[in-house]
Amino acid sequence: MKKDKSQKTDIEQWLEGAFQRNYHRLRIESGHALSPEVREAARQQVLFYWRKLRELAESITDTEVRLHLPNQKSKGNRKFGIEGVVDIVRESTRTTMYDLKTHDPDYVRKNIGEYEEQLNVYAYIWSILRGQPLTDTAVITTQFPDSLSEAIRSGNPSRIDEEVRKWEPVIPVGLDPSHVAHTVEEFGEIVDKIESGDFQPPPVSVLQEEEIKGRSFASRVCRNCDIRFSCTSFRQYSRLSPRESKRGSMKFILQEMSDDEREQRFEVGLT
Amino acid sequence: MEESSGSATLEGLWQAAGFAPNRAQEKAIRHTKGPLFITAGPGSGKTRVLLWRTVNLIVFHDVHPEEIYLSTFTEKAATQLKEGLRSYLGQVSNITGRQYDISRMYIGTVHSSCRSILNDRRFSRSRQRPEAPVLMDALQQYLFVYDKRRWDVLTRAGGWDSGANQAVNSIFSEGSGSMSRHAAVTECIALFNRLSEELIEPEKVLPRLSRNRIRPLFKMYARYRELLAEENRCDLSLVQKAALDVLKGNKGTENVFKYVIVDEYQDTNTVQERLFFTLAHGWKNICVVGDDDQALYRFRGATVENFVQFAQRSEKYLGKRPRIVSLVTNYRSQDDIVRFYGKFIDHNTCDWRVSPRKQALFRVPKKLDAHRQTSNYAVIATEPTDPASASDEIAGLVERIIHEKKVEDASQIAFLYPSLGATAVQPMIDALEKRGLKTYAPRAEHFLEVPESQAVFGTFFHVFDKPEPSEGFGGRDYNAFFDWVERSHLKAGEIIAKDRSLAEYVADCREQVSVAALDSQILTTAAERAGWDPEAPLDAGVMLDVLGGVDGLSSKAKRGLTSRYFKKYAVMRQELSARPLTLRYVISRFSSLDWNVLDLFYRFSGFKFFRRMYDAATGGDEGPICNLGLVSRYLGYFLDLRGPIITGQSLANQGFQRHFFQSYLFALYRRGESAYENPDDPFPRGRIPFLTIHQAKGLEFPVVVLGSARKDNRGPQRVETMIEPLLTGNREPLERIADFDKMRMFYVALSRPMNLLVIAHLCSRGNHVSEPFKSLLQEDGFPRIKDFDVSSLPDARIKESELPKTYSYTGDYLFYKRCARSYMVFGRYDFAPARTQTMFFGSLVHQTIEDLHQYLISARTSR
Repeated sequence: MKKDKSQKTDIEQWLEGAFQRNYHRLRIESGHALSPEVREAARQQVLFYWRKLRELAESITDTEVRLHLPNQKSKGNRKFGIEGVVDIVRESTRTTMYDLKTHDPDYVRKNIGEYEEQLNVYAYIWSILRGQPLTDTAVITTQFPDSLSEAIRSGNPSRIDEEVRKWEPVIPVGLDPSHVAHTVEEFGEIVDKIESGDFQPPPVSVLQEEEIKGRSFASRVCRNCDIRFSCTSFRQYSRLSPRESKRGSMKFILQEMSDDEREQRFEVGLT
Repeated sequence: MEESSGSATLEGLWQAAGFAPNRAQEKAIRHTKGPLFITAGPGSGKTRVLLWRTVNLIVFHDVHPEEIYLSTFTEKAATQLKEGLRSYLGQVSNITGRQYDISRMYIGTVHSSCRSILNDRRFSRSRQRPEAPVLMDALQQYLFVYDKRRWDVLTRAGGWDSGANQAVNSIFSEGSGSMSRHAAVTECIALFNRLSEELIEPEKVLPRLSRNRIRPLFKMYARYRELLAEENRCDLSLVQKAALDVLKGNKGTENVFKYVIVDEYQDTNTVQERLFFTLAHGWKNICVVGDDDQALYRFRGATVENFVQFAQRSEKYLGKRPRIVSLVTNYRSQDDIVRFYGKFIDHNTCDWRVSPRKQALFRVPKKLDAHRQTSNYAVIATEPTDPASASDEIAGLVERIIHEKKVEDASQIAFLYPSLGATAVQPMIDALEKRGLKTYAPRAEHFLEVPESQAVFGTFFHVFDKPEPSEGFGGRDYNAFFDWVERSHLKAGEIIAKDRSLAEYVADCREQVSVAALDSQILTTAAERAGWDPEAPLDAGVMLDVLGGVDGLSSKAKRGLTSRYFKKYAVMRQELSARPLTLRYVISRFSSLDWNVLDLFYRFSGFKFFRRMYDAATGGDEGPICNLGLVSRYLGYFLDLRGPIITGQSLANQGFQRHFFQSYLFALYRRGESAYENPDDPFPRGRIPFLTIHQAKGLEFPVVVLGSARKDNRGPQRVETMIEPLLTGNREPLERIADFDKMRMFYVALSRPMNLLVIAHLCSRGNHVSEPFKSLLQEDGFPRIKDFDVSSLPDARIKESELPKTYSYTGDYLFYKRCARSYMVFGRYDFAPARTQTMFFGSLVHQTIEDLHQYLISARTSR
C-alpha cells in the first residue's frame, strides 16, 4: 500500500516535469505564451486526468496511433485519404479505442452524434488496417464539468474529492458501422468544396442558434475567430443582434473584448 | 527472385497502374541488395521509380516501412512521395487484402528527418520526448545574430570592442569594409552555416590560423555555437550535425534502417553525406538518385562532388561499389526541347574536363532522349532586342496562347529568372499587366512591394507615425526602403480617403496611440512623485485610487484603474502571493494598447478595400489572399520576437516604432526575398507565376519563358575561398565553379517546359545573354516568336493531381464543417492567427498526456 502511494507521487512529479518541459518547448516554438490562469487550468486537466483515470492510462497499449484510410474518391472525382489519431487499449478479449478531447463534456454529450460519426470512421479504419475489430470506443473529455471546476476554485479538498468521484470523463460512443459509408461520402463532398474554393461561412441563422449553456455559435466560435470582421455572416449577425445593434457600428464590432479576455491578454504579454 | 505476394505480382501491379517501365527503370526498381546509384535526367520518371522500388521492398521483400529511410529535398516532394506510396500500397491491399501502415515511416526532407532523429523516442531511453533544441529558420537565425546584444557578444569574441562591422566587412570584401551591421551579419551567417555543414570544429582549426586574417571569424563562430547552446537553440545547418552526433553517440543506430534512399542527392552537403553513410552502415543498402546537371544549391553548402563521385565514396565508406543505373528517357518535354538543353550542357563554351589531358569530367556524361517525338518547333526566341520590345513581343505571344486556349489557366505559363531582382523583370510584368494579364510574383525582389503589403503596411504608417530617415545615414538600401515607406504611405492614403469608416477607424487608432504614450508618462511621473518602487508588489487598496485620480489621465485608464473588476482581480493576485502584481505591471497595463499589429491587420479586413481581397478568393483569384497570408505570417513573426503587447512606454520613447519599422521591416526589405515560405503555397489560379529558377526546380509547366538568359561570372563567393584551404578531397577548382553553376542553373530552367520554351534574346545597351545562349541563338534559322504558329501548340489540360491528398478528420473535415470561411483563411491559406490560447492549451494538454502514456508503456515493458 505504502509503496503504491509513493509511486503515485513519483508519477505526479514526473508529470509535473513533463508538463513544464512541454510548456516551455511549445512557448518557444509557437512564440506565444499562456496566461498563468490558463496554464494552471491546463496543468490541472493533466493532473486530474491521471488521478481520475489512472487505471485506464496504465492500460493504454498503443498511443498516438495514426489511422489512415487511403484511396477514397469523391463525387467530384478527387482522390483523397482520411487521417486521425487515437489511443488504444488492447486486452486479451477486448480492444478499446479512445479519442482524447479537450472539449466541454456537456457539449460532447449534447452533440454525441458528431463524435459517433468520427469514431465509427476511425473504428472502421482500425478494423481494416489491423484486421481485427474493436469492441468499444469512447471519447475522453479532459475539460472539467462545471461542478468540478467550482469545487477546485473553492479549494475545499473534500468537495473536490466528491466532485472527482462523480465526474465521468469517459463518454462511451456506440459502435455502429452502418453510417460509415455515408460519413465518408460526406467527407468527400467537403474535399470537393475545399478543392473547388467554396468557402461560404455558415448562414446567420446558425450564428444565432443557441448551442449550449446559453451560448450561441457566434459567441462560442466567431468571437474567437480573427477573421470575423471580414465575414459577411458575422457582420450581418452583429447588425441584427439586439444587444449590439444599439451600438451597432463597425467601431463596436472592432472593439469588443471581454474583461477576462483583456486581462488574460495583458498577463501573457506583460509578464 | 520471384516477386509476388499472395496473388499480386509486380508486373500485375504495373499493368493495373498503367505503368510500363523501360529497361533502366525496371533494373532500378528490382535492385534490392547493396548500394545503388541512379542518375536521372529531367523528366525521366524517377519519382515513379522510387515509389515502385519502395513498394517492391515493402510488399515483396517484407521490409517494414519503419525500416526504410526516405529523404527528399523539399516538403512538397516528400508529401508527393508519401501520398504516392499510400496510393500504390492501397492498390496492393485491394488485390491481396494485406494492409500497410506507413505512418511511422521516415519520409521527409533531410532537415525534418534530422528533427525526427532528435525527437525520436527510438533513439532515447524511456520513450520520453528528448530535450531537442528549438530550431530556427533562416530569418530567425538572421534576427538572432543581428540582435544588438548578441552581435556585441560575438564581435567581442572576435576581438573587437569598436568598429566591428567595418572590420568584419573588410575581411569579407578584401578591402575597406562598409559599416553595415546587416552586411556583416549576412556574411557571417553564410560562413557559419558553411562551417557547420563541413563539420569544421573551430577549436581544431584555430591553431592553424594563428596569423590568418580570418581567425577572428572562427572565434566568432565558436562563440555563436556557445550562444546557441546557452539558449537551447539550433539553426538549420547545425541541426544536421546534432542528428549525426545522436547517431554516433548511440549504439546500434547504423542498423535501425535496412534501406536508406536519398533523392536529389546532387544537392547534399558534407554533413548530410556523413549522415546517410552512417545510417546505411549496417545494412549497406543505400540508394541515391539525382542529376548532377541540376545541382543548384552550392550557396547552401551542397557539393555536387558527393554525387559525381558516389561510386568511389560508397567504396570508401561501405566497402562496396554501387550498381549504376542511368535513367535518360525524358517523358516530359517535346523532343525539340530535350535536344536543345542537351546541346546546351554539352556546348564547348564550357569545359567540364578535370584537366586538359584527362578524360575524366566534373559531370556524369549522359545521352538523353525524348519519349515525345514531334516535328514541331518547341524552342523559340524573341528578336535580339531591348527589354521593353522583348517584353512586348512575349506578352503578345502569351496573350495569344491564352486566347486560343492552349492552356486552361494562366498559372500554366511560368516566367523564370536567375533572380527576380533582374532589371528585365519589371518591364515584363508591366507588359503583361498592360494587356490585362495578371501576374503573381510575391518574391519579385521585395515581397513588401506587392500591393497587399503596401496597403497593409501603408495603413500602419497612418496609425503610427511613419518612420523618417535619419540624417547622416544613407546607402542604397536605406534610401530604397524609405522610398518604399513613402509610396506605401501615399497609396494607403488614397485607400483611406475613399472609405469614411476606415478613415474614422484609423483616426481613432491614432488617438489611442497618442493617449497610451501620454498615459504612460503621466502614471510613471505620479508613481515617482509618490516615491513608490515600481518593482514592489502592488498595494491595490491605496495605489489604484491614487493613480486613477491623477490629473490629465485619459478616461479609459481612469476607468480601468478604478474599476471594481480590476481591484478584485488585483486582490486575488495578491492573495496568490507567489506572483503578486507589481506597480510597474499596473502602469504598463493601463497605458498599453488593447491591440497589436496582427490584431490591427485582422481589423483592417473589416473594411471594404481589404474585405474584397478575401472575397476575391472565392471568385477564383487567389493572388491577393496568398499575399495577405504572407503579410499575416510576417506580422506573427514580429510578435514572436517582440511580444504581443504595445506598451505606452514603448510608444512614448519610440521603441516600438524603432523595432517594428526601422529594425524589422527594414530587415525584411534588405533581405529581399522572403525567407519565410510555406512550401505548400499553391500557385494561385488565374495568375502568371514569376519564379526564380531555384523556385522552379522539380516543377513542370506547359509553357516556360526564360526571361533573362544572363548570369555573369563574378568568381567564387568569398566564403568558398575562405574555407577552401580547410577542405579535403577531390573538389571542383574554385576558379571554375561559377561557370559550372551557371550551366547547371540554366539547365534546370530549360528542362521545365513540356510544350514550349521561349527565350528572351536581350541584346541592347547594357543587356546581353550569356554563353552558350549567345552562340546557340546566333545559329542560322533559330526559330523566332514571329515565325511561331500558336495553333501548332498542343493543348495543355490542368492535370488533376494523380495523387490523392490526405485530409485530417479534425483538422480539415470538422474544421471546414464548423466554418468554411475560417477554414479558408487558416486551413487553406495558412494565416497566422492572433488568438492562439485555445490551440496552445489543446496542444499542451494533449502532448503531456501522450507523454504520460508513453512513459507508462515504457515503464511496463521494461519491468
